[in-house]
Amino acid sequence: MSKVYFSTWREEQINNVGKDEADWKESAYDLPAQYDEHSSSKAFIGWDGVALFDKDVDVVKLATEYAHQYQEYSEACGRCAPGRWGGRILYDLLDKIARGEGSMADMDHLKEVCKSMQLTSKCEIGKTVPNPLLDLMTQFEDTFLECINEQKPSKHYNEDVDYIAKITAPCMDACPAHVDIPAYIEGVRDLRLDDSLRATRQTMPLAHTCGRVCPHPCEDECRRTNLDSPISIMELKRLGADYETDHGLGFYHPGKGKKKPSIGKKVAVIGAGPAGLTTAYYLALDGVDVDVYEELPVLGGEVTVGVPEYRMPWAKYEKDIEAVKDLGVNFILNHKVTADEMRQFETDYDATMIASGTRISKKVRCDNERPEVKGYWGAIDFLDWINLYEKFDITTPKEVQEQQMLPSDHVDLTGKVVACVGGGFTSMDVVRCSVRAGAKRVIMLYRRDEKTIIRNTTYEEYHEAVEEGVEFIFHSAVARMNDENDVLKSLDVDKFELVPDPDGGRPQLVKIEGATENIEVDYLIPAVSQSAEFSHLPEEWDLEMTSWATLKTNGKDYMTSRKGIFAAGDCEYGPMTIVNAVGQAKRAASVISRYVQNGGEITLTDEEIMEDHLRKMKVYDKKEKITGWLAGVPRQKSEVLDVNIRKYNNDEVNFGFTQDQAISESERCMRCYYIAMVAK
Amino acid sequence: MIKFKINGQQFSANKGETILEVARANGIYIPTMCYLPKATPSASCRMCSIEVKGQDGFVLSCNTPPVEGIEVITDSDTLYKERQNIMKMYNVNHPLQCGVCDKSGECELQNKTLEFGVAEQNFSVRDQSRKKKKWGVHTYDPGLCILCEKCTVVCNETVGNEALFIKPGGYKSHIDINLANCIQCGECISVCPVGAMASTEFKYSSNAWELKQVPSSCSHCSSACSLNYEVKEGTVRRVTNEFEFSSLCGAGRFGFDFENRVLNKDADSFTDALDNFRSAKNVIFTSNITNEEAYLLNELKKKLGFNLVNDEARKFQEFMENFSSTANISQYNATLKDVSGSDFIVSVGCSIQSDNPMVKFAMSQAVKYNKAYVSTIHPIEETPIANVISQYIKNEVGSEEAALAMLADILVEDKSSQEEFFDSLDLGYLSGESNISEEELDVLKLKYVRVNKPVLVLGEDVINHPRSANIAAIAGYLQKNEIFKVLIVPTLTNTLGVSMICDLDKQQDGLSIGYNVKADYTLSAKGEGDLDMPALNQQEGTFVNIDKDLVVLNAAASYDGYELNDIANALGLKSENIIDYTSKLGFKDIAFDDLDNYYDNMGNAHRGYRVEAIKNRKRPKLEEVDDLAEYNGSVVYSRNPLSHFNVFTKDCKQLKDKPELIGSEQFAMAAKIKSGDNVRFSVDGVEFTRNFKLDRRMKGTVAYNPTFDVDAKSASYRYTQVKLEVINE
Repeated sequence: MSKVYFSTWREEQINNVGKDEADWKESAYDLPAQYDEHSSSKAFIGWDGVALFDKDVDVVKLATEYAHQYQEYSEACGRCAPGRWGGRILYDLLDKIARGEGSMADMDHLKEVCKSMQLTSKCEIGKTVPNPLLDLMTQFEDTFLECINEQKPSKHYNEDVDYIAKITAPCMDACPAHVDIPAYIEGVRDLRLDDSLRATRQTMPLAHTCGRVCPHPCEDECRRTNLDSPISIMELKRLGADYETDHGLGFYHPGKGKKKPSIGKKVAVIGAGPAGLTTAYYLALDGVDVDVYEELPVLGGEVTVGVPEYRMPWAKYEKDIEAVKDLGVNFILNHKVTADEMRQFETDYDATMIASGTRISKKVRCDNERPEVKGYWGAIDFLDWINLYEKFDITTPKEVQEQQMLPSDHVDLTGKVVACVGGGFTSMDVVRCSVRAGAKRVIMLYRRDEKTIIRNTTYEEYHEAVEEGVEFIFHSAVARMNDENDVLKSLDVDKFELVPDPDGGRPQLVKIEGATENIEVDYLIPAVSQSAEFSHLPEEWDLEMTSWATLKTNGKDYMTSRKGIFAAGDCEYGPMTIVNAVGQAKRAASVISRYVQNGGEITLTDEEIMEDHLRKMKVYDKKEKITGWLAGVPRQKSEVLDVNIRKYNNDEVNFGFTQDQAISESERCMRCYYIAMVAK
Repeated sequence: MIKFKINGQQFSANKGETILEVARANGIYIPTMCYLPKATPSASCRMCSIEVKGQDGFVLSCNTPPVEGIEVITDSDTLYKERQNIMKMYNVNHPLQCGVCDKSGECELQNKTLEFGVAEQNFSVRDQSRKKKKWGVHTYDPGLCILCEKCTVVCNETVGNEALFIKPGGYKSHIDINLANCIQCGECISVCPVGAMASTEFKYSSNAWELKQVPSSCSHCSSACSLNYEVKEGTVRRVTNEFEFSSLCGAGRFGFDFENRVLNKDADSFTDALDNFRSAKNVIFTSNITNEEAYLLNELKKKLGFNLVNDEARKFQEFMENFSSTANISQYNATLKDVSGSDFIVSVGCSIQSDNPMVKFAMSQAVKYNKAYVSTIHPIEETPIANVISQYIKNEVGSEEAALAMLADILVEDKSSQEEFFDSLDLGYLSGESNISEEELDVLKLKYVRVNKPVLVLGEDVINHPRSANIAAIAGYLQKNEIFKVLIVPTLTNTLGVSMICDLDKQQDGLSIGYNVKADYTLSAKGEGDLDMPALNQQEGTFVNIDKDLVVLNAAASYDGYELNDIANALGLKSENIIDYTSKLGFKDIAFDDLDNYYDNMGNAHRGYRVEAIKNRKRPKLEEVDDLAEYNGSVVYSRNPLSHFNVFTKDCKQLKDKPELIGSEQFAMAAKIKSGDNVRFSVDGVEFTRNFKLDRRMKGTVAYNPTFDVDAKSASYRYTQVKLEVINE
């Protein structure tokens, strides 16, 4: 809810013109009336309408400036006849009227050009720029006519007003890393995969990774969904990265493509996972010297030791990491940072980023859940040993072999029965790795239903696991671990049913009495969630924590309660996605870069402030009716490795798009760029 | 098949076809400004918008495939109005200087402005100052540019050089260039719908309507691309082509002024020529010749008994004989279309950029459109086309036989028919000598696993290799076993035709007549001999090109001297025109005048006919791989710069590449020479004096030595160990 003087946002018609401020009707939307802590906005204008927060706004100038910003920003565009010429005509005519030289014919031409742009522009930006302009010209016709009839400039024509514009798109807004998705898809469509990759790397250094294993929240907010089905956004990202790797042409870094010379500032990063790598990448691009400390013997964090080879081949992830190394980032492996070192870092470095993730598997909370029982094996540790062996030939040490009853120096589950409790990506990795490790029976125990597990992971992931023979037992939970002499023998598994709430609330899971089943298993692998381990934080720092026992920041600048100590990724948010970690770290890197250069001041750029406003407003409108595109053009699906082959090896399951598929899929993209602008 | 309606009529579309393609295939007109059938749509003009019954708004037809059951409307009042508005916008600030614009008369902007009745302009914007740019053969005028993107699209997709790009910026957006990537092919000029991208040389020299178009085939390399000579007053003024469907390289487009201006018949010289023919021991010729001329020479040989000499074609003949003995068919089975449609290409012994530009175009199209894996096995890395090549395997000079044997060994599964050969391979030795590692081949093999359309491209290095017989047999074996489709790049323009028509001999002592080759008596289309002959743009005839298509040449520039047919007639053959022999070449009994030479609506080429292959049932055994010769010291490689092929391109005004020896820093250091030095050396009996130019992008110890300024084409291995003598004065 926002207090507005006037609003046509998302088809609402709020007109408080002439009313007493106390009687103003409020907008139903969360509009950016308050720009930031220091300043408020006068107006907000965007693809779907316009909102005025102040009576005194010069609407003619506002319209002119919006058209002007479209010209300024058409770097993203300028590539179709209606957008290129039309956009310029809009600006020229509006400015002519605003400076008091307009004529009635100009108004007619404006309306005509607006209509042509709405109908024929290539991107949504060209189609939607006319929307608020027409709103203003209609609702405030008198004001426009006054300028024309009296041949005088609009009321604040010659005054300086701050206009802040931002390009967005529903998918970009939904992506935690705000990747310029339409741009990288355009790169594919143009068959300029180098451009595609450069666009991705503006905000996302891990293009191989997030082109393969991202849960793609963007696809849930793809406008094409309103028409038929979403664009296969994630898979299109992979093409640029594969091209770079296949042709070995060096790294396509964003911007000028090169690292700035060192600016003499140093930052320490704790953890070389996605958040750590991303922080290092963007700081290094800005010329900051970065040391990354990693506890494990390998780089890449959970994507390396958690995500299996068949989903995320190391050879590809390694390329993402090499892109970071290419910028001169220094990595220190096998080094668990201590609290003492952290204290020292405060003097040695200009800032410190904690990106140490969440690497402790939480318990399933059943009876007799004792870690010393052989066969009880936390998912994180289990996946560590599988991946270290599969990707780096690092064998499982004797004590782990003994504790987990392994016949040899790696995780071999031949003939064993494995039960995993979970429902998220980690649990999927556990069960599918178990299949590949030779287990004779693999069971996934999940509290909720099939629909939910698909929503929490992906359709493909679930479907492929089923194909590979994983048994899913839904509405179930482990009640008790049964052991003999500390060796796991079986599980008592309770069954539940969904009972509708007679009061119309959410249905409740209710245990079915007498349905408890005893299942013989050799392993129970809890993959319910993970928590963070903070033994390396000096106690006296007393960093503020969230109720989830993660490091607390304001979610905007990612500084912890201690000055100069930042946090991003899972250790800040709790166990979440790669792209979430990347998004946080990218923002944090931008803040840190300014922090170390501006004498410790925490600032956000206008771009970032607008980004946060737009995310709060949500760019995607699932009720919007799409016109100008043919419904029913099928979404492309890439080929996967045959189940009878992939069950027995660790080869990458997904072959990725063929070029034909990639081109077809990219041509489905509607380029839903929008431009939003705030007048301050 | 997807069934749908256009303007009430029922049609069906194949998978991947767009609405526009179906409409065009069926003769239904939808206007476009930016659409180019041979490339992916840039979707910038929006003119091809159509309506779909029951749906709001317009749908773009160029990049939208139809959906079952829809009803498309290609024209309506609203569509007309909006298309008209687009044309109005295109005309905003477009200079009204048609009178002096090259494009006038064949300008899409003019055409569509008239078509949509844009008689007045009611939109205007403040104009901006825009500077013209000169980029070598092409000049860019941003003031005329409508930003349809056709030029950037062909530069990126068709040519694969990624030189032109869009500098975005709203109304300010324009085309820019990375000149280092530009190969001066002029594809951008050919596709420009307005006068923005113009030929620097042709500019302001002629109006479109003054030029007569003579459809013909390019005579510079074995692709023999389709082109139009555009003629005014008996002189070729420029070359154009069916740019919507086909392409040309720079030599084809700008190397057209090689005609032999002869205004009358020199009867005395002619009599002289006849005398020489009667007493000649040898007639030597090159494969820059039509089938009909080659046929005539062969007929004269039968009649007069001289040796018909063309070493390069004879070498090719032998290569193809050996190839077909194991392939069990007389021809290689790939075409350029197979290359561009391939997803896995291996090339051996081919200088991809320059030997045949269309092979390179096709390869980069394969990469662009099919994500093809391209592996090139060659002693010299071609760094300028690194964006095309996925794997470069450097082999030692001379080791092409080993390379092919190792390739066969790693890719052939069932080796039973050539067991002895495979057993005889000492892979460790071959790998060591050829410098091709087993790891490199393993990568290749891994990439081969999931491919559908693998193609092997072989070039002149293997055709003229000392071990060409066995190399050809291995290649034939690979084709026969369907490991690859095989494309062999014929050495010169009509090497393939000559090799199929002529019975060739070795030269013997005695009087030699040279046809476009300097000899005791020389017939020359360069005007440098004893009797003038017409050049290839001055006569009718045919070639057999790399695709094994017999294609048509028409006479463009005027010529009033004697022709080979006059000599033949005087020596007892009887035929009014040389093209009377076209139907007698031994291929198909189709008269010259009945040969097709056009592209249909869908871009299918109808150019002459494909020469059929003949099957055989030979079962020869492959030979053991021979020990490898060593090449030490300074080695030069016969290879022409991108714009040149032969003595006919040599003096073309717009082809600027000079005949220089080009080598790497490593080469210069080893040979103790520096950039700018004049050096003398000899290759295959020909003495060269070349200016040495250092190319920092090059690597290795082999330098490029062009041969386009030498009239006789050598049939020796392209690498020669030389002694360089610096002769700076």
